Amino acid sequence: MAAAPLVSIDLGSPTPAYRQIASDLRRHLVEERLKPGDLLPPIRQLALDLGVHFNTVAIAYRMLADEGWLELKRRRGAVVIARDAPRAMDRNRVDQLLQQLSHTAAELRSAGMSARQISAALQRIAQGAKP
Amino acid sequence: MTSESWPLLFIIAFHGLLFHAMPRFSRPGILFAATVPEAFVSGAGRTLVSRYRAIVWSGAALALGVVLLFPAALDPEAQGFLYLGAVAGNLIVGISAWLWAYRRAHAHAVAHSEIRVASLVPRDTSLPGGALFASGPVFMLLITAVLVATHRDQIPEGMGITGPPALLAFGVFYVAMMLAMAVSMSRRTRQIAVEGMAVAVEQRFRRLNVFVLVLAAYGVAMMVSTAILESIPALGVRLGERIAFIVLPLMLFNLAIALWMFRVGQGGHRAIAASARPETWGDATPDAAWKVGGLFYFNPSDPAIWVEKRIGVGYTLNIGNRSAWLLIGIALLPMIAAPLLFLLKGG
Repeated sequence: MAAAPLVSIDLGSPTPAYRQIASDLRRHLVEERLKPGDLLPPIRQLALDLGVHFNTVAIAYRMLADEGWLELKRRRGAVVIARDAPRAMDRNRVDQLLQQLSHTAAELRSAGMSARQISAALQRIAQGAKP
Repeated sequence: MTSESWPLLFIIAFHGLLFHAMPRFSRPGILFAATVPEAFVSGAGRTLVSRYRAIVWSGAALALGVVLLFPAALDPEAQGFLYLGAVAGNLIVGISAWLWAYRRAHAHAVAHSEIRVASLVPRDTSLPGGALFASGPVFMLLITAVLVATHRDQIPEGMGITGPPALLAFGVFYVAMMLAMAVSMSRRTRQIAVEGMAVAVEQRFRRLNVFVLVLAAYGVAMMVSTAILESIPALGVRLGERIAFIVLPLMLFNLAIALWMFRVGQGGHRAIAASARPETWGDATPDAAWKVGGLFYFNPSDPAIWVEKRIGVGYTLNIGNRSAWLLIGIALLPMIAAPLLFLLKGG
């Protein structure tokens, strides 16, 4: 039996909790641990289990619904939907993310990783493996 | 030893056993209501538990000694005070031992983890037996209310607070409270285990707690309905002591569930073989939010209405949550309303 997908957040992290939730969910969706038709817990239930405000989970679900991953169900949580056609690239968003990536790459170089190691780690991440 | 001594001996021994077993009920990682490191549990924690139990049993032995050795020499009134003192003293020693151990365990508590993990699999939050089964007590009281309304001219006068309308109001409040507690416990309790068999075991544990509340609602509705219908002679209801045949099995069933919960511990964690237990440490609530030796939980930033108790087994209200106060309000309403009604009606 496959292990149940989990979401993990660190309330001590500077990254807002809703971003951490959305990021974990997105990872499960991209790596197909969550498949079209899968039902996610209702907002209240997930918020309760994580010990965060309902709005925190609601924002995370809304972000993923806007990205086309989820369909929100009133009182029933959210359903993973099929993203058949690749979505048109949001140029601004992509630029923003690449900017973040360049900052992260600089921090990794500063931490002692070589450009080759960073490139290899990125490739592994892009293919769904752990860094 | 007099015949009155036996129940007292039983009560004292029962309290002793309960206090003895209390540290055993907690989830792994929690000792005397504090989240402690593994090294403490297997090291100094063991010594602390032994010392705590030694105090508990010293108190119980003292109380048993008072009941066994001093009864015959005293007049009945003095004997009553002595017995009461023995039982109360035993309880005070048990509580003091707990508070003593609580303070010592807290000195070794670990910092509350800011990392939270939750499963993305939706869980069943429906009421055990379904909404229709849970509505049974409401229907029972509704039928009783209809019968009271249709026979209102045959209700004997001067029944005051024990009259059918007042009893019905009492029943409605208590059934509403039990069902509100059942629904909120089912939906607004945190799932602590996230992987493996522990998930199913914890859910079964929660559903059994909810089921006990639904059964309690049935018990209240049955007793209130019987008392009301028996007070209207024209209805010819004469259940009398036979009510015990309905109430007793309910009580025995609830007792069996309570014993099962004591055996499996908090969240049912002992129902799983030690080797297969998940690595969950603690109960995902901060120690700082537990007040009065771990008796009350006050955490306004926690959306849970119910959390697992740190003393005993089962769930307790998060009194920092406004919705919990709604439940407390429903519970207190009959207690405030009944004396008021009594005063207004003049007994």
